[in-house]
Amino acid sequence: MRGATTRIAASLLVLLLLGGCGFKDIDKRLFVVATGIDNSGNPDKPYRITLRLAVTSPKIEPGAGQSQVETIEARTIAEGVRELKSYVDKELDFGQCKIFMIGEQLARTEIKPPLSWMIRRRDIQAISNVSIGYPSAEAILQIEPKTERYPGNMLFLSFGQEGTESSYTVTQLAFELGRRLTEKGLDPILPIVYPENGSYRINQAGIFNKEKLLTILKPEETQLFNQISNTELKSSIGGNVEEDPYVLTVGSIRSTYRTNKNDQGKLVIEFNIRMKGLLEEAPKMVFNKDWSVIEHHIATQYNTSVKKLLTKFQKLGVDPIGFGLRYRATHYSGDGSSWKEWLSLYPEAEFKVNTKITVEGTGLIK
Amino acid sequence: MINRILTLFADSKDLITKRMKNDDTYMEIAYIDSLCDESKISEGIFVPFSRNKKPFHDIVQFSSEFKPVHEMTEWSSSLLRGYVLIYIHSKYYSYDASRIIRVESQTTQVESSIQGPQIALTEDLKDGLNLIRNRYPEPSLSVEERTIGTVTKTRIALLFDSRRVNSKVLANVRSKLLEVNMETLHSAGELVKYLSGNRKHLFPTMLITERPDRISNNLAKGKIVLLIHGSMFGIILPVTFFDFMNSMDDRYESYWMSHALMIMRYISVFLTITLPALYIAIVSYNPELFRVQLAFSIAGSRSAVPYPSFVEVLVMLFMIEMLVEASVRLPRYIGSTGTTVGGLILGQAAQQAGLVSSIMIIVTSVVAITNFVIPNNAMSIAIRFMKYPLIVLAIFYGITGVVIGMFSYCVYLGSLRSFGVPYFRLPGKLIPSEEGDLGQVSSS
Amino acid sequence: MNRYFYYGFLYVALINIMLFVPNILLQNRYTGSISSMALAIPAGTLLALLFASSITKFPGKAIPEIMYEHHPRWLVSPVLWMMAIVYFLGSVIVLVAFSVVINRFYNPDTSSAVVLYLLIAASVYYSTRSTLSLLFILEMMIIINAPLIFFVLGKALFSSSFNWDAIRTVANYIRVRPNIESFAAATYIFSGYLNMSMVNRALPPNFRLKYRWLIPLIGTIALLSSVFIPIGFHGTEGVEEYLFVWSVTADSMKMEYGFIERVLFLYLILYLNLTLLFTTFGWHQAMEFIKSTFKSHTPKLDEDKTTRSNWIIGIAFAVITALYSLAVNEKLNFNIAAVWLIVRLFVELLAVVWLFILSYKQVRRTRTKRKEGNEE
Repeated sequence: MRGATTRIAASLLVLLLLGGCGFKDIDKRLFVVATGIDNSGNPDKPYRITLRLAVTSPKIEPGAGQSQVETIEARTIAEGVRELKSYVDKELDFGQCKIFMIGEQLARTEIKPPLSWMIRRRDIQAISNVSIGYPSAEAILQIEPKTERYPGNMLFLSFGQEGTESSYTVTQLAFELGRRLTEKGLDPILPIVYPENGSYRINQAGIFNKEKLLTILKPEETQLFNQISNTELKSSIGGNVEEDPYVLTVGSIRSTYRTNKNDQGKLVIEFNIRMKGLLEEAPKMVFNKDWSVIEHHIATQYNTSVKKLLTKFQKLGVDPIGFGLRYRATHYSGDGSSWKEWLSLYPEAEFKVNTKITVEGTGLIK
Repeated sequence: MINRILTLFADSKDLITKRMKNDDTYMEIAYIDSLCDESKISEGIFVPFSRNKKPFHDIVQFSSEFKPVHEMTEWSSSLLRGYVLIYIHSKYYSYDASRIIRVESQTTQVESSIQGPQIALTEDLKDGLNLIRNRYPEPSLSVEERTIGTVTKTRIALLFDSRRVNSKVLANVRSKLLEVNMETLHSAGELVKYLSGNRKHLFPTMLITERPDRISNNLAKGKIVLLIHGSMFGIILPVTFFDFMNSMDDRYESYWMSHALMIMRYISVFLTITLPALYIAIVSYNPELFRVQLAFSIAGSRSAVPYPSFVEVLVMLFMIEMLVEASVRLPRYIGSTGTTVGGLILGQAAQQAGLVSSIMIIVTSVVAITNFVIPNNAMSIAIRFMKYPLIVLAIFYGITGVVIGMFSYCVYLGSLRSFGVPYFRLPGKLIPSEEGDLGQVSSS
Repeated sequence: MNRYFYYGFLYVALINIMLFVPNILLQNRYTGSISSMALAIPAGTLLALLFASSITKFPGKAIPEIMYEHHPRWLVSPVLWMMAIVYFLGSVIVLVAFSVVINRFYNPDTSSAVVLYLLIAASVYYSTRSTLSLLFILEMMIIINAPLIFFVLGKALFSSSFNWDAIRTVANYIRVRPNIESFAAATYIFSGYLNMSMVNRALPPNFRLKYRWLIPLIGTIALLSSVFIPIGFHGTEGVEEYLFVWSVTADSMKMEYGFIERVLFLYLILYLNLTLLFTTFGWHQAMEFIKSTFKSHTPKLDEDKTTRSNWIIGIAFAVITALYSLAVNEKLNFNIAAVWLIVRLFVELLAVVWLFILSYKQVRRTRTKRKEGNEE
């Protein structure tokens, strides 16, 4: 009796081993390293999807990154990806895809459908980098930089903190973009990738409202935006004091803002910025001069540029820094009415910017 | 007497029977030559008998070395233990002239420590007791003797500290020893297999050791030790999983180093069990687990391999197991060939021929090396076996299977009991002043 | 032996950070979740402490034995069956839901039924072990998993993309009146004390629960992180869109210098362990309750060999779970879970109050006995 039950149990347990359907070796998969979605101009098949696939080799050396680019036009993104499977011999694997690029023209018309496709798929990482490609995502993806160790490396390292940490590059991860698209009080902003001599230039950012791209910031404005919204950023500030150019490299910036109503019921947004930096470029013998004068002048110039940027956002009717969310957090008036208040107050709001700069040293020379 | 002895025994050249006569007495002697020490016999029997300064019969009667033998049934067992049977004046006596072949106390072979004591138990029970008593000179140390094995009649000794021992376990062991029904008993391993009963445990529940210092430590903790005559290993019971992972060096080295080494040992156990299964799960089910660079380099190195990953893993594991088994049995003169074969051919050449990927070589060598970090041999063999079910689960379920498999191993370990003592329980108390323990109310 | 109580409490709190509780609480975030959470902290702590102090008056006995001593059999057996069914159903819901999660992320090419069957087979094996073994396994698993879970939670809090404004916005809604759904969901985090109903067999006599401040502390941390961490990552509106909120939240963290870059995989492994623990204990409790309703059963803490009744009940559980998974899809499962949470709240209240009354009677009984003994 005992032997029989064990044998029946064992044979039933063997039935559990029927589940090996997902087994696919790594060399039977083709890794997608970057995806690009464009407008195709064709009303029947409005999306043009580009995939950059990695060709792996046993050697990893600089200059060995080879890739294969596939493009297709389709009615929807999902259908396009599925049809692309028939163009390649191995299984498409999006698990390592961390670059998503939306063409600039598509961004100017609508941005929600590509993003909802990205979020709905389970194998696309929520920490992938989203960006806009100029003139089109396909053009950017077809660039194969010669110094890459493996395909897509240059784009991976440009965003995020592993490679270069440039202050001109805005990094947006997929979940952050999703948050900005739905949040009441925070609007999306995405970096724009330009092709440049066989490699990339990413020093400008695009401002969006909830539907589409509105305008592209200049590089200085992009750096300004980065400075006021991030703390861990190595950047530089320039200014003129008595006709001499000064450049400070700033290690940490602490910026806080408050949204309050003043007595007349108007909205006042106060921005307080504190920075500490070392002088990188300055006339000689600056060590002996009075630093507070330098600090004051550069701070005033900085205030003006920040105010200009914030007013630009206000005129466009967007809020990429998140003042609206801060207003909602600090003013509660039940049932979402604080959001309606914000919507009426924001176009008339006043900005006050206070910057305090501390010069810590002058580098190695006086 | 001699006629009867000749009928009892088979025809053997070394059974010597003599009829001797001196001036006043007539004596019959029987002994087994190979078991006796000739010099003792001549000193104790032949010389006094032939010289006859004192009447030999008086010597035999009044000396304590000659013991009277009353039953005829005792004749064969005395002869077989190396005693000399004497028939004089119609009485039978036995004289102990046994010759024991013993190896002098040797250094530890299997469990060596760098700076600790180097002496090991020997195959003689008396020597073993000598070593242990020297290291545990407490009057409460109790030694009980049993005989096990209907043919070999092996003597075993049961040692415990009567003040500290766990009485439930002691009663359990005693009753189990009474029930033993074996014909031959030569080594500690056979006794271990028998004592653990019908259940085929995956893990060893008794510790086999050759070090008297380890035995002494465990006696002080209240454990029971079994020594076997003819085997240089002793058995310690009951044990927990964590006893197997301690080597004696942990007590002899400094605090931080020994704790760091312990952590390393546990990490090695984890690696050696899960690494092949994880390799299969990640390479074939979820390559997105790796970082990008690693995924591409693995994909590149696997491009030359024609068959799926689990075949690769199984082939390499099989080769390593063959290598380990063969190196146990290699004669000394061919020993170095084994390393050459293993290292160069299996590793480098197989990879260059495109039979295995280079990552697989690293995985296999890590698995093999980490297996031998485990201090105890029985546990190391048990763990060597544990990776295969995980490989099967990984083939069919990927990482989910590996995680469920590891959890199942933990559950199995948690439900093992070594003579009633829980096997997988963290030792000690979290807060030293806590009193009471689980299971006090209902179990006993 | 205090730590075994806290292990039991901890694993229930940790697993509920991610399963149904955040979904329900986040759905109602503007309509009363926050105030329900604030109410649930003292309510849950009170229930836990009441239960712990009541059951320690009966050393070495589990709820079935206590009830059988004080009440007739025809009253107690249906109650025990009802409690067993409630706990069993809880584990079934969790198991089915989690197998879907695993299927989505780890084994997407197979149907979720395959993973579910493996989980069921494993759970049958685990839940048929003896109570004492399960306690040791609980300790081991918590020691291995809990630090890693706290690491993930800590990593979320200190992530640079974490938006504190969104949290403050939602926290403002504490002024909205609570509702019963959210209250039931929030108190579930504190339900770990119910493990004592079975584990009490193992605890020594004169057991007094120390470090009681751990109960509200752990509960508060679990509750707050369960609701506010997804809001911090996905914003006040976006958090409603996701089906598996916590899985996507875990995916939004990045271990830049770690071996595995996506925190999601580590998180799923930890939750697989916790789900197995949860199912094991749920089934084991239900099994013990059902076994105690049979007249011929004597409760044992540590059996040598697993009895046949264990296996039979375990296999029955497995079959019921398999049938449930075939009958129910994701949406229906979620609705059943919401209703189950409310039912469970009332069953728990009933159990705690009943036990409290019984313990009061018991204390009076021993006091009168002692008085009589002194007088004699």
